[in-house]
Amino acid sequence: MMRLIRSELLKYVSTRTAWGLTAGMFLTGIGFAALFGALFVYGDILDGVELSEVAPPLLLARVIYTSAIQFGYLLALVIGVLCIGQEYRHHTVTGTFLATPKRGAVIAAKVVALCLIAVVSGVVHVAGALVGGGAILVSADLPVYPEAADLTRTLLLMLLVLALWTLIGLGVGVLIPNQVAALSLAIAVAWIVEPLVAFGLTFVEWGESASRFFPSQVTAATLDIFTGANDTLTSALGGPSDPLGWATGATVLLAYAVVMALVGLILTRSRDIA
Amino acid sequence: MSHRTVSAPTEGGTDIQIQSLAKSFKDFTAVNDLTFEVQPGRITGFLGPNGAGKTTTLRMLLGLVRPSAGHGLIGGQRYAELEEPLRVVGAALEATNFHPGRSGRDHLRVLAATHNIPDRRVDELLQLVGIPAAAKKRAGGYSMGMRQRLGLAAALLGDPQVLILDEPANGLDPEGIRWLRGLLRALASEGKTILISSHLLSEVEQTVDDVVIIANGRLVRQGTIEELHGDSSTLVRCTDPSALVTVLDAQGMTSRVADEQEHGPGAVEAHTGDMTAVGEAAYAGGVVVHELRTLRTDLERLYFELTEDPEMTDRNREQT
Repeated sequence: MMRLIRSELLKYVSTRTAWGLTAGMFLTGIGFAALFGALFVYGDILDGVELSEVAPPLLLARVIYTSAIQFGYLLALVIGVLCIGQEYRHHTVTGTFLATPKRGAVIAAKVVALCLIAVVSGVVHVAGALVGGGAILVSADLPVYPEAADLTRTLLLMLLVLALWTLIGLGVGVLIPNQVAALSLAIAVAWIVEPLVAFGLTFVEWGESASRFFPSQVTAATLDIFTGANDTLTSALGGPSDPLGWATGATVLLAYAVVMALVGLILTRSRDIA
Repeated sequence: MSHRTVSAPTEGGTDIQIQSLAKSFKDFTAVNDLTFEVQPGRITGFLGPNGAGKTTTLRMLLGLVRPSAGHGLIGGQRYAELEEPLRVVGAALEATNFHPGRSGRDHLRVLAATHNIPDRRVDELLQLVGIPAAAKKRAGGYSMGMRQRLGLAAALLGDPQVLILDEPANGLDPEGIRWLRGLLRALASEGKTILISSHLLSEVEQTVDDVVIIANGRLVRQGTIEELHGDSSTLVRCTDPSALVTVLDAQGMTSRVADEQEHGPGAVEAHTGDMTAVGEAAYAGGVVVHELRTLRTDLERLYFELTEDPEMTDRNREQT
């Protein structure tokens, strides 16, 4: 198994795409954390009241450092999809399955390799967010790293979220071998379909409890940044009103990934590689 | 009879068995009840026109495509059951199986990693196939010939007993083809089992010992290249053909006056490969001989006759 994981890691680092995606992780982190940081610190989002006066420093730091995560997890999704999609696209899957005819083992190796890749990419993303968001906090003379233990937990949860989204990407990629189709579908669902459906569901009674299980909602729940914050502040900052607990959230994200990967795996085992 | 000496299968060699293999897709049958064997220590040409089902057969043998019926065995085992497949079978299927952004060397390293094969072996093989420098560049810019060489290097990574190459001569220049022929000969003499596919008999005629010819997904001919040639006969051009036929008959050699359209005037076709006996008989019988040579079957023509049956070609037209 170690050999297969090493092979998968080598596959990832031996193309420029990997470096592009890693750079993307850093740039989205730095760019959006700075942008949203500036908005939260200098923008007028609470009708004349400065956010930094009402929000505890920990909440402010958490909101700013996680503000780029939507872009981060989209990139994580792309990494996951490409991990298998590239193999079909360039027919390297033939060589992969010739070297390892046990296709389940290949997918398992990809899962482990992707977790490692996700953690490295995630650290890069978090570093970017710390630089971008931190710069804004410094400029406003606000605490950059308040309540170290709690803030560190948030940053670690960001890594978890990114890793889970990478696995969701793998699930989508395994399920849909055409990488263009898989990418378009995954992005469309994450960014267009989900918000629309969530909006539609606000009109029905059970809608709210259902939309809690949507990927973006679950992601927000997993990050768990609004615990203890008051409701007005939470809704002003776009936080979920009645989120799942972080562990439940992480489990739901994992379930999405596992279900898709399992269905994909069953299809992959019998799929003809022509 | 002028058969080349047939070397006995090498002790401990690994054979390939294709048993009642079939593959049907939604609207057509690609491979139909195909059975044949490939012997160790010999080079077997797997021949057939494009669309005959060669690649599908190879992919089924290698566990990439699931057969509708039957199976292919390598040394008595299914490919998917092999513990370290690259050390048993080396396969080069298509010269397009490379990520354009990854270097040739890294492609080999990715495969090598799965079997703990050291980078040293990767570099050795790149040297062997003659692309050590180019392999450091991204594969997107490779010529067809370089891709073929890289594919061959990949197939040889685990020093396998069995080598399966799909159209390996495609895109190679004449020098490259000569080099490939020499390499395959050397590998076969080590007792390896070599199966190479081609849609052109002439391309592999000088390389292979055995041939398996398929058309329309079915076996149409199998045997040694000599068997395909058939028993050789001798062509004699002389002043008096009918006299020569009588003379040869007296010596116990059957013959007939050859078709003038095909062989020109004054020719006799003797049904023996023994030119010495024919020459001596003619001398003894007082027939002046102008030309004496072995008459071999035109393999290319035979190949087309075998594979271009009207029934066979129809399907290919549908397919392409």
